[in-house]
Formats: sequence, C-alpha cells, structure tokens
Amino acid sequence: MNEFVERKIELQWHEPKRSYDVVIVGGGGHGLATAYYLATRHGITNVAVLERKYIGSGNSGRNTTIIRSNYGIPEAVRFYQRSVELYQNFESETDRWVMHKRKGLLWVAHTEAGVRAERARAEVNTAFGARTEFVTPQQIKEICPQIDLTGGGVWPVLGASYHLDGASARHDRVVWALAEGAMRRGVHVHQRTAVTGLLKDGDRVVGVETERGPIAASLVVSAVGGHVTALAAMAGVRLPIRTHPLQAFVTNHYALAFDQMVASSSLLFYASQTARGEMLIGAEIDRQPSYSYQSGHHFLQSCGFRAMTLLPFLRDLRILRQWTGVCDMSPDYSPIMGESGAPGFYLTTGWGTWGFKAIPAGGEQMAELIATGKTPALIAPFSLNRFAQDRTMADRGSAGTH
Amino acid sequence: MNIQIPCPNCGARPIQEFIYGEIPVVPETLTDADARDLDRAFMRNNVEGVSAERWFHTYGCRRWLTLQRDTRNDQIYAE
Amino acid sequence: MPALEPMIATRIVATPAALDAVAWPAVAVVLRVAPDEVIVLADVGQDLILPYDLHAIVVAETGLASVWLATAEALDFLERACEWELPRQRPAFAQGAVAGLPLKLWFETGRVLFIVPAPFAADLEERLA
Repeated sequence: MNEFVERKIELQWHEPKRSYDVVIVGGGGHGLATAYYLATRHGITNVAVLERKYIGSGNSGRNTTIIRSNYGIPEAVRFYQRSVELYQNFESETDRWVMHKRKGLLWVAHTEAGVRAERARAEVNTAFGARTEFVTPQQIKEICPQIDLTGGGVWPVLGASYHLDGASARHDRVVWALAEGAMRRGVHVHQRTAVTGLLKDGDRVVGVETERGPIAASLVVSAVGGHVTALAAMAGVRLPIRTHPLQAFVTNHYALAFDQMVASSSLLFYASQTARGEMLIGAEIDRQPSYSYQSGHHFLQSCGFRAMTLLPFLRDLRILRQWTGVCDMSPDYSPIMGESGAPGFYLTTGWGTWGFKAIPAGGEQMAELIATGKTPALIAPFSLNRFAQDRTMADRGSAGTH
Repeated sequence: MNIQIPCPNCGARPIQEFIYGEIPVVPETLTDADARDLDRAFMRNNVEGVSAERWFHTYGCRRWLTLQRDTRNDQIYAE
Repeated sequence: MPALEPMIATRIVATPAALDAVAWPAVAVVLRVAPDEVIVLADVGQDLILPYDLHAIVVAETGLASVWLATAEALDFLERACEWELPRQRPAFAQGAVAGLPLKLWFETGRVLFIVPAPFAADLEERLA
C-alpha cells in the first residue's frame, strides 16, 4: 500500500450514556489526548469526549504543525520538552504513523537585541533540558542555504538559535491516532454533539447539557478552543482569554529540499516545508479579537512580502491556499491548565498559537490531575490562579509567532 | 474580504489603517475591590457577538472612534 | 522621478469652533486633518487663532515632506495604490493608507499634493518611480 494512502481509521460509534466519570468538552488534540492518557496511563475509560463538529475540526486541524520546546522560561521549557519527547515516541506508542519528522528550527535574529534574546534562549533551553545552540550567520547558511543573510538589505541576519529537536507531524493524524487509541480502550467520542450548558449542583459542575440530552459527570474538563470564555462563564469562572484569528498559507511544490524550519521574530513569520513539498508559512495573530474564520488578501500581501525578505526563493512560488484558525490568547502567552476554581470543572485552555506542540504533554498532565486529584508539578505553574497570585508566566518572545 | 471601518473624520478605510482598542468591562456582580482590580487587569469578556470597541485611526486623523463589531463575522456597525 | 521636498507648515490644535471661525490667509492651503486640528501649508503665527481659542497649540510642523504631481500622473498612481474612494470635488483633502504609507492628499484642479511624514519620503519616492 502506498504510504500516502490514508489508513482507514476505525472509530466505534456509541449512543451517549446518561453519565460518565469524566466528560471532556472539545474533540481536538488536547481533549482527545486527555482521554487517551486517562485510558492508557490510568485505566480510566468511563470517559466521553464531546465534539460539536467533527474531531480535529477546530485548531487541531488548522495549526502549522510545529513541535518544539525552545521557550524562554524554565517552566515552559520543561513542559514543552516533555511534549517533544512524547511526540518522539508517539508513533511507536500509538502504532500509528503521524509523519513525525525531526527537522531543527532556526530562530533568526536581525538586531543586537534579537541576538541577545536568541543567546539567552539557547542558555535557558540547555539548562532545562532542551537542545538549542546559538549559531553564527555562516553556520546558518550551512544549515539553510536558501536564507538571504542580508535580509533583502533591510533585515541582516546576525545570528540564530538552532533548536535541534524542532519537529513537525501531520496534525489530523495525531488527532485520529489519539481518538482511535482512546476508543479502542473504551472511551466514547461523540461527534456532532454540541454542549449547550453545564449542569450545576450549587457551585459544583455535575455534568453537561448537550444537543442530545443531559449527561452527568463526576468531572467536566473543558478542552474547548475558541469558545471557552462562554463555557467557563456557565461555571462561574472568569478567564483572561481573548480569541484572535491567525492566518497561514501554503505555496505550490518547491522542488528543492527545505529541511529545517525557519522563524523570525522581527519579520513575524515562520516557514517550513510539508511532506508534499509545499512551503507552509504562518504569521502572528490578527490584532483585533474575532471568531471569524475569514481569510484576507492583506495578510498574504504583508506576510508574503516579509517571508520573501529572508527567503527570496519564495518569489518563484505561487500561493495555493490560505486558511484561518482562532487562537485563545492569554495575557502572558502561556497556557492555562488545571483547576478552574469551580468544583467539578477543570480547564485546559489558553493554547493561543502554541497548542499543537503541547498536545501529548498537555493531555498526559491533565490525565494525571484527573486521575490523582493532585496538580502535577510540571503544570502547576500554569494554573489559572497565577493571575490572582501575581506570578504570570510571561513568555511572549517565545510564543509570539508560533 | 476586506473589512472597512467608517471613520467619522476621514471616511471608510480598510481595517489595517486602524489600531484596536478594547473597552474593559468589569462585571457588576464583582464587588470586592481586589477582585475588581484583578478582573480589570487580566480578565476578558471575549464577546462572541456584537461588542463595543475603540479603534485608533493611525494612518489618518489619529483620533479614536467607537463602533460596534460582530466578532462572529467582523460585520461593523457604526455607533 | 519626482523628488519630495521638506515642507513649511504649521500645525494648529484648537477647538473645532475656533478652527471653523478663523479667516485663513487666502494663499495658504489648510488641511483639516481632524475636527480639532489643522495643518496650514504656510508659516503662520499664533495671532491668527488665539482670538478664537486662547488655549490653541501652534507649532511649526517640520516633519512632513511633499511633492506636487499632475492630476493624470497622480490618479494613475492612486488607482493602483489606493484602496479607498478618492474625493471627486476640487479642491479636496483626503488622508489614509496609500501603498502602505500614511499619506495626506490635497487635490486641486490640475494637480495633487502628496504629503508623507519625512521618514517615509524615500519610500514614497520609490513607490512613485
């Protein structure tokens, strides 16, 4: 069989039960990973994942599939490094090919301040277990011959941090592998089942109201992207989330190999090559909050221009398609995981522009929290109450573009 | 699609000419002063629907304007 | 290729009523950039406005560069580079993004004045060329 022919995924179909031990709202990567690790690591299988459209139809199917751990603060490096490692073993663990490929990520600096930031990134990464080194322009040219070191004469390349474990994987295959693995162990995944409300007993959340009737649960977990503020409000929880669109595009086939991923904080874009040979290019979020999936020509114009500044060969390619996802941005550019403050209601949210890379670790850690009732040390820094306790996990410089 | 914002001074202009400004709304149910400070600093209504907001016309008259926008489809209603 | 020149201008911030009431020198072009702000394309003193608004701010505006283009040439460029509707009457003032730059335009019969903040002068020359 041609390896590019999709393997038929085997999902079993169930009628929703009246009650489950755990109901996870949102059938994207994080929701399904939580269910998967509950089933595989903790033997908790009386679990339902509720998805309002189809699994992976939100940001899990719209992201630019970058996996990396080169963050700027120790807590984030440790957490994402766990995810990088889980991804490295993902195919053997799930017995599904998700096209995981280690590529390396060049994060290019164009200013003295940028050079300092990338040097600091390499130091922090090395100290906390991620493999990143600072490289000179000459080394950059060896790693990625296509880069114009003069930056079009405007954005000269002064150096870069080179993250050796930067990788990518096929996003919907990750979602399917998790769904299949969870269902094989007894988890129910209900697609086209929108949650319309929360069942409450006083302050405690005791289940969800759905299009297909009420479902009781000992614990409800929100793994929702894009609509989490409204869901949390039903539990009486206020969130520091603003939902912004982010656009990306792919070009037609580029005949040469572009082995690594390239990012630039100054030029606000990042580029990688897909398994089909297309150049995949993304950018920063739109400035205004919005839930609209509308793509625009302005984005193509400005992002394409910036990308060509560093990678002139893009000039000869054509844009094939573009799309938009919506990102739940937290004020400190870090995720929010764990207890919500409302009994019976856990959150994994604030996945902004950094959700895909965190799917395995986010799911694994949320599953441990659910199974043990104790917040694992790896995600304790990312609790919602960090804002009230004045210990925000500010890391914009590591998340701004990805 | 290109979204146009009607500037009362300059006329309709593409949204890229403007800078977004938020109007933070702290829920009235919050009465504790610390809770209100926290809410104002960090929490967001993140309205999914029509919301009032401020825009600064940085490419034109350099003045703020207020309008209503539906965040589900970016339809703009001048106030 | 048209070259942009630094402009002599005066920026005045005052109440809208005061700006409406002033009798501007007949030769000077007055750009009403906002209800409470004008840019006068001449070196005018504060005596003009103070009788109408004691608290008016009057400063020499040295940060602008400009060039006159013939109408045909100007419209040829603007049709390509401007996304919004241009005024039809003459004289007229308009401002907004043109070719990604913050432009102010003064339309007269037969010619159009292009004004940009001086740091963008080279960019505008490049786009006009």
